[in-house]
Amino acid sequence: MLDGFEILTTSGVVLWSKAYAPVSSSIINGFIKDVFIEEKVLPGASVADEASAAHKPTYKKDQYTLKWATVKDLGLIFVAVYQSLLHLTWIDKLLDNIRIIFVDLHKDQLKKPHTSIIECDFDGYFDQQVRELEGAAEKSPQRAPQTAVDELTPPLSSDNGDGMLPPPLPGLAAATQTGQLRKPVSNGDSTDVSPIPTPDTSRPSTPATHILAGKAGPKSRRAKKALNTPANASSGDETKGRPKKDIRKKMRRWDADGMADDDDETVLDYSVQSPDEIGIANTEISASIEAIDSQSFGTKTGKGQFVLKDLEGEVHSILEGANEKKSQSTSSKGGVVGSSLGTISGLFRNVIGGKVLTKEDLAKPMRGMEEHLLNKNVAREAAVRLCEGVERELIGIKTGTFESIETTIRTAMESSLRKILTPTTSLDILRSITSVTSPSQLNPLPPKPRPYVISIVGVNGVGKSTNLSKLAFFLLQNNFNLLIAACDTFRSGAVEQLRVHTRNLKELSEREGLGKVELYEKGYGKDAANIAKDAVTYATQGKFDVVLIDTAGRRHNDTRLMSNLEKFGNFAQPDKILMVGEALVGSDSVAQARSFNASFGPKRGLDGFIISKCDTVGDMVGSLVSMVHATGIPVVFLGVGQHYGDLRTLNVG
Amino acid sequence: MARTDSQSWLSSLMSPSPIAIAVAALLVLSIPLFLHLVIYRSASSSTIPSFLLVGPSGSGKTSLLTLFERGRHAETRISQAPLTVEVSLPVTTTTASSPYRSANDPSNQIHKKFLLADTPGHGKLRHYAFDSVIKPQNLKGIIFMVDAADVSTSSGGTSNEALRQAAEYLHDLLLLLQKRANTKSPRGPTELPVLVAANKLDLFTALPAPLLKTALESEITNMRSLRTKGLLDSGIGMNDLDIGDEKEWLGEGGEGKFDFTQMDEVNVSVTVAGGNVLGADGPDVKQWWDWIGSNL
Repeated sequence: MLDGFEILTTSGVVLWSKAYAPVSSSIINGFIKDVFIEEKVLPGASVADEASAAHKPTYKKDQYTLKWATVKDLGLIFVAVYQSLLHLTWIDKLLDNIRIIFVDLHKDQLKKPHTSIIECDFDGYFDQQVRELEGAAEKSPQRAPQTAVDELTPPLSSDNGDGMLPPPLPGLAAATQTGQLRKPVSNGDSTDVSPIPTPDTSRPSTPATHILAGKAGPKSRRAKKALNTPANASSGDETKGRPKKDIRKKMRRWDADGMADDDDETVLDYSVQSPDEIGIANTEISASIEAIDSQSFGTKTGKGQFVLKDLEGEVHSILEGANEKKSQSTSSKGGVVGSSLGTISGLFRNVIGGKVLTKEDLAKPMRGMEEHLLNKNVAREAAVRLCEGVERELIGIKTGTFESIETTIRTAMESSLRKILTPTTSLDILRSITSVTSPSQLNPLPPKPRPYVISIVGVNGVGKSTNLSKLAFFLLQNNFNLLIAACDTFRSGAVEQLRVHTRNLKELSEREGLGKVELYEKGYGKDAANIAKDAVTYATQGKFDVVLIDTAGRRHNDTRLMSNLEKFGNFAQPDKILMVGEALVGSDSVAQARSFNASFGPKRGLDGFIISKCDTVGDMVGSLVSMVHATGIPVVFLGVGQHYGDLRTLNVG
Repeated sequence: MARTDSQSWLSSLMSPSPIAIAVAALLVLSIPLFLHLVIYRSASSSTIPSFLLVGPSGSGKTSLLTLFERGRHAETRISQAPLTVEVSLPVTTTTASSPYRSANDPSNQIHKKFLLADTPGHGKLRHYAFDSVIKPQNLKGIIFMVDAADVSTSSGGTSNEALRQAAEYLHDLLLLLQKRANTKSPRGPTELPVLVAANKLDLFTALPAPLLKTALESEITNMRSLRTKGLLDSGIGMNDLDIGDEKEWLGEGGEGKFDFTQMDEVNVSVTVAGGNVLGADGPDVKQWWDWIGSNL
């Protein structure tokens, strides 16, 4: 069973929602953030074709699974939430059908500019779809008619195993046209939400009476309805109840206010026309009505019940219409003249603009763009995925005036790259450090100041020690007291290298009166994690502000060394873990980034990248794009040389 | 003979025969219309004043938008795309021009309309907001929404993350406005007031508006001083023309304590007002309506 279903716009307004069980809004907020904004890579996500119902991507959070469908040009998102333990196969089809129905019904409203109000009366359609698909999926043995009926129950054309959902409400296109305003979000029919344990209430929403079985029945009922003139000109109302077999049970009779009237002893079994009914029927027939073709308001099901045509027919017609349109568009256009005119106009439009982009149009320019990215040293996997993303965005979009396809693609690619590289939160290291080392005065109970721990990891030879010293120089300029911990106990000369750096920096800082810097080392061959822990305690005692921890380089496919990282992370508890990646690396960058990100255990990941050796590659800085795209982790620093001052931040604009 | 034929054709064209005049009139009238239809396809309605709604994620911008538009708020989720709606000022709110109008002015009866543009607050999507500031379309004011309850000191102990983010966004916005005012571009209004709207005041952990003002000011001061010490940008070496360009700092020369009154020098007046969109007692947005009315 679904837990909830929502229809929202990309600008954040919820147009319609239905919750069978309470679902907190943070689930959907988190889903939007992760999938659409931050575009975290989903396992097994392929380029989902909008039209296909076969495989919709899923998103899991807590114990919920979410599946969704989008309509790009109108900016709509349809989300279905259900418990992960259940395995519902019909959700994909439901999403597609709901999408088609909703767009069909409310297309005009959605295209209105400068407004966010959509009046939608979607409950009926949704319920009908859910019942239909769920019933088709379940195919459970149908209950015997006797047991299903104690009171008047609405028979469903596809019998449900549970029959829990109350009958659909007559929320129809006609209703919206008659100007009946309903609240766009979960209008007052909230009793739809709670599943009723025994199907004993069939609640009319309008003061209409039941429509019953039997051929003669509808006429009299219809007559009564015509007299009552309900507020809705509805082409269908709730499906009627079955004839009762057991007359002894007290019939529930509904009067005009929708109240159950228990006192009436009248027999409500119309399978045999009682004398007074016949009388009423006769008088009413004479009173008014034109002959109504029974086909127009109902069909006979196999059981001999006369089920009134309700939303179901309308829904099916909408779906069939959509399918027809799709098949028409895919059929080839015939004729030589037609095709040549088509190509000429296509070329014309390419220059002028205003062309609606299809997959074929985009294929060749996209390949060109992909090659361009590969030439700039972006890893193949990242380039392919980027191009797929841009293609997905651009299918079906109209190009602007005087814009060729290439420029459209270029602007789309620019904006998507910018979105990838822009960090979610600000990356100011200085602010983070000051907030930890000297907590703000506004806080009445400041915690004890503790040193800020930064650790540097990476594969062999990317420039960890050099960049660490550059970072140390930068922090010294800001008058922090530094402790450099030499946790690279493996490579010969690592500790000596850091000793030389510390000596230089100490001299510099003494000359200019900056903060103090010290080296903490324990020689070679010891366990890096223990040294890190001791360094942090030493720094706390010595009132240092920042601890910079240098680690040994390790290949990302060497599992033994990578597993040491987790222990290191737990012992040292660094505030920031920065991975150094060099700009010269090729397609290995993605794998490196991913395995380092995963190696710190389930709760921790990298916090930033330092891309080193940027001065050596010129403008072929594609590897930073691939690393960021693969993991979603922002670039904190760029190393542009081998001197102490060659450290920059990334300016995305 | 061909020559004389063409000559005669030309001369007949130039001569004031009725056919020539009719053809000429037709061309003269139709060509501009045709060009207009082809080139200027969508005319923006720039006669209605517009306000921009910015702020960090989760502060209540889209809820405010729906509240203003329909009178009661709708459920909202994280926005990914900007949205512009037409809003009418409630009749009780007075506008800046009302003291100058007589009591019987019929324009008092009609609702004054304005456009309210909502932007996403997420860090990656802030470029929509900044683009709207750089290329304004009849922009009369900016509303910066802050979640006053989130910004008060949390139990975590570290200097509040939400306050920092809000202060950073506000700092960037004010810096952009200052730069724009200093470059003196011919387009764009000369002054652009900013309202810092403290939202969610119905929650008991919310900071009242004056306290929020001092908190933001002190955070911006911190940030400004830290930015001066920060690293150089990676874009510095790329463009040689930039080397001579000095970085601009917010407020008076970037020193000392930052105050919102320092922004008055660049004709950006900052007001701080509180209210709440949701709430047990219903929405209370009267101060915000008043500010909008006075700047309309």
